[in-house]
Amino acid sequence: MDNKKILIIGGGPAGLEAARQLLRLGWEPVIVEKTEQIGGHLSRWYKLFPDMMPASELLEQLTAGLEGAKVYLKTRVAYMNRLKDGYSIMLSNGTGIQCRAVLIASGFSLFDASKKEEYGYGVYDRVITNADLEAWFAGASDSRIPEHPRRIAFVHCVGSRDLKAGNSQCSKVCCMTAIKQAIEMKERFPDSGIWCFYMDLRLFGKKYEDFYINAQKDYGVHFVRGRVSEVSEAIDGSLVVKAEDTLAGTPVKLNADLLVLMAGMLCNADTATLARMVRSEVDSDGFLRSRDNIYRINESRRPGVFYAGACTGTKTIPETMAEARAAALDIHNYLCGND
Amino acid sequence: MIDFGFGLARSSAVELDKVDLSLYKELERLEPGIRKCIACGSCSATCTAGPWSGMSVRKLILNLQRGKDVSGMLSACMLCGKCSIVCPRGINTRQLILSLCRIYDNK
Amino acid sequence: MRERFVTGFDPFVLPFLAGMIFVLCYCAFGIVRILAQLPREDRRRFLLSLITPATALKNIRDIFADCLLHVKLWRRNPLLGFMHSSIAFGWFMLIVLGHIEVMVYCPDRIRLFYYPIFFNYFVAAGESTIGGAVLFFLMDFFLLLILVGIGLAIVKRIRSRIFGLRRTTRPSLTDRIGLYSLWAIFPLRLLAESFTAHISGGSFLTIPANWIFRQFLGNDLNMLPTWWAYSIALGVFLFVLPFSRYMHIPAEMMLIPMRNAGLRIRHPRKGFARLEVLSCPECGVCIDACPMSVKKANIKDCTVYLNRQLRRGNERRIEEISDKCLLCGKCEAVCQVGVEGPLLRMEQRASRRYGLSPDFSGIDLSKLQAPAASSQKVLYFSGCMTRLTPAISKSVCSVLSKAGVDYRWIDQDEGLCCGRPLQTAGRYEQARQLMRKNEELILSYGADTLILSCPICYKVFKDEYKLPGVRVVNYMEYFAELIAAGRLQIEKSDICYVYHDPCELGRGCGVYEGPRKLLGKAAGIAEAPANRAESICCGGSLGSLSLDFAQREEITLKSLQNLYDSRADAIATACPLCLNTFARYSDRPVRDMAEILDAAAR
Repeated sequence: MDNKKILIIGGGPAGLEAARQLLRLGWEPVIVEKTEQIGGHLSRWYKLFPDMMPASELLEQLTAGLEGAKVYLKTRVAYMNRLKDGYSIMLSNGTGIQCRAVLIASGFSLFDASKKEEYGYGVYDRVITNADLEAWFAGASDSRIPEHPRRIAFVHCVGSRDLKAGNSQCSKVCCMTAIKQAIEMKERFPDSGIWCFYMDLRLFGKKYEDFYINAQKDYGVHFVRGRVSEVSEAIDGSLVVKAEDTLAGTPVKLNADLLVLMAGMLCNADTATLARMVRSEVDSDGFLRSRDNIYRINESRRPGVFYAGACTGTKTIPETMAEARAAALDIHNYLCGND
Repeated sequence: MIDFGFGLARSSAVELDKVDLSLYKELERLEPGIRKCIACGSCSATCTAGPWSGMSVRKLILNLQRGKDVSGMLSACMLCGKCSIVCPRGINTRQLILSLCRIYDNK
Repeated sequence: MRERFVTGFDPFVLPFLAGMIFVLCYCAFGIVRILAQLPREDRRRFLLSLITPATALKNIRDIFADCLLHVKLWRRNPLLGFMHSSIAFGWFMLIVLGHIEVMVYCPDRIRLFYYPIFFNYFVAAGESTIGGAVLFFLMDFFLLLILVGIGLAIVKRIRSRIFGLRRTTRPSLTDRIGLYSLWAIFPLRLLAESFTAHISGGSFLTIPANWIFRQFLGNDLNMLPTWWAYSIALGVFLFVLPFSRYMHIPAEMMLIPMRNAGLRIRHPRKGFARLEVLSCPECGVCIDACPMSVKKANIKDCTVYLNRQLRRGNERRIEEISDKCLLCGKCEAVCQVGVEGPLLRMEQRASRRYGLSPDFSGIDLSKLQAPAASSQKVLYFSGCMTRLTPAISKSVCSVLSKAGVDYRWIDQDEGLCCGRPLQTAGRYEQARQLMRKNEELILSYGADTLILSCPICYKVFKDEYKLPGVRVVNYMEYFAELIAAGRLQIEKSDICYVYHDPCELGRGCGVYEGPRKLLGKAAGIAEAPANRAESICCGGSLGSLSLDFAQREEITLKSLQNLYDSRADAIATACPLCLNTFARYSDRPVRDMAEILDAAAR
């Protein structure tokens, strides 16, 4: 067995950071990424809360220390067999790998917003998602975004905390993303009114609350506590957003020129297949099941299989970074027999 | 005693430990889903009867939990079922309303 | 032929005689009671229909086809049809032939109604005639037919899958007694007639049997006990009949003429409803048909068990069963005797007392009223549910615009519910109030056509609304007319769709072929194994009051599996509720017919 190799499934922030750390520890990580570029969702994001750091900057830092790591793009794991003290893996490009440890860092998928039919994503012309907006910030053109929007509405919890959408978990990052994007929109369109419709604002991280205060104080973003239930289209193509202002106890309507849906995080559909290959388990929330959710989040119940990032649950980027480093250390200790 | 023409107004606060919750408890037994409400307001915003009457399932549940009368609101529901469909917690709101209409019989 | 006994009597006939008298009295009393329960007008109508030659003839034909030959069952399941008709028709023929024998050979005994049943005991064979031989042959033939049927029935009890039934009913105690006595009657009759055949004569079955028995039983001592056993089996069957599912035999013979007279359920428990309940043979066809039965726990909520609980008067279970049902109507579509499962349940719901009842009569329509003298002659009513599936309303409007139809969307901002959900919940009066309000509103526009895109609305608009001068039409029918008139060009795509029949549109309104024709113009089309009247409810139906979100999932998955089995690329439906429900779980695209047509229309 070539016992220096470590397979990392997923070339997003978690996989990249873990690979970087493992390289430093003297291992030979092999990254398998299914898309044509590394970086995962990060590569499609514009700026990151709460410091408004450009996503590209973080990506640069992550890839800078990767010399020496093998990266396979547009490649998937075809099958994986358990050996006596490791795994034999066949990749979709025909490469065979034998290694003693596997790190699953397969990340998340964004909820398909067209499944929340009542919001009219894909039906109405002025409805976009958080990811669409990031792409537009990053320079892509989007005909759905009007030149001078008078009012912009953000809908939180689209496909999160919603049994009907098949995901009852909170996606953690959407509240902050909505506030971030609201601020960015206000900077681009100072005359527009911005409205955030939320169920609960969950701003738990460092500087998050300050960010929220800024949005209120400096940018005048309006916050309405009520989940949007219906969206209809007026004759001029603008949208009529219906919700209940639950604090005022009154139904409200907003005529908006742009509706941004905060699509939530779901576990990647491929992850279940991966889990079957290593005979690991999927938890009741649809994500991978860790040894426990307090002390050994990075460990699976199978020897030599480790997790990092959003494959075990919704994570922010700082959390993912911390987990990736922890996983790298766990793997190092496992391979050195330091348990 | 000199009457100054004013006195202490009775507090409008609901005393959570003393309020009569018999109606809510009974409904809880018939439709346990009622406990899952997070008051997101989806039901009220989508309600067909709402624009005509101010009907709101969210308010209905909250008022029941605070021991208040809800009969006025109940009598506007058209049972169209939209609230059941939009509820993110999967509460069977129609059954809740029908059950409540029946319990009022016994009161 | 000569009679063996001058008295023409033996005590063994007593069990049968007692059972027969009991059943006749019970049924006579039952008929009088049900007639008394009917509203006066219905009673008149029924009695009149009995003496109207056309309906009387139809009654006889229907009773013959349904009760004896089981024609409907043959069509559904030939093996099951054969089993039932061999027993029912065979038995009927034995009774008829028995009477003929008595009339031919000893006409003065015809008054004793046990005589045709036990004829072979009471007579001894004389010289053989052709006529006698034919009669005896027929008697043996029908007895054999019944025995084959009984044999199949026993196999069915043990292995119901052979008959294509995945699940069947669990018989109650009285059902079991009835069942076992029924199984015993005919083998015992064969034994009794065989033991007697050297005296009374017989044919291809009884004579050889007699010969075999005589090889090792040299005397006639077995004769009387077997006749006793036969009579006792008959007696037991007749005694438990009113308290078991076998009550369906007399009840159905009464139900058919009443239905032919045009009677309907007017009371949740009495009269016609009572008769429907009694007519249920508990065959269990509705169990496999019921979409809820995908979950084992729900099997006891199928119509066959509703009927059983209604017979027993178990109020708690009646309420549970009534509230759970999706009202998809499939049990009614497959029912052999035409028990209206959904309607029976709605009636139970309607019979409840409520402390609070909504009142919609005071709704002020001025909020919605059209600006005076609106020019549009075509109205579009999208309904409540479509607000949650804007793809449908947007597509309908788009197609109408493409065809240049000058229409008005009357509930674009606010609207009233159509009343169907209240109706299915059994709140008839409140539903009527809403309907009157909607009628008032719609008539105020002075239009001549009303287009509906929701089949739930369509069903109630078509059946219950009074809109003189306004044609109520489903959007698909209207689009088909636009295409026929050349106002709309359709371009066929190469996507293959499977069409799911929504309950309210298919079984509810009988619309099956129109949507398929239209879909065939716009795309490829595949059929699911269960389609049209057999289509499986999506699980989202508003018909169910108590099924919660989690319990509906398995129903939806079962319905989707049926659609996947068609191997189509995508699913087409024509109901906002089906669309909403399927989209949640489907692994392939789900589109409303309006979306498909909009994409195809030029």
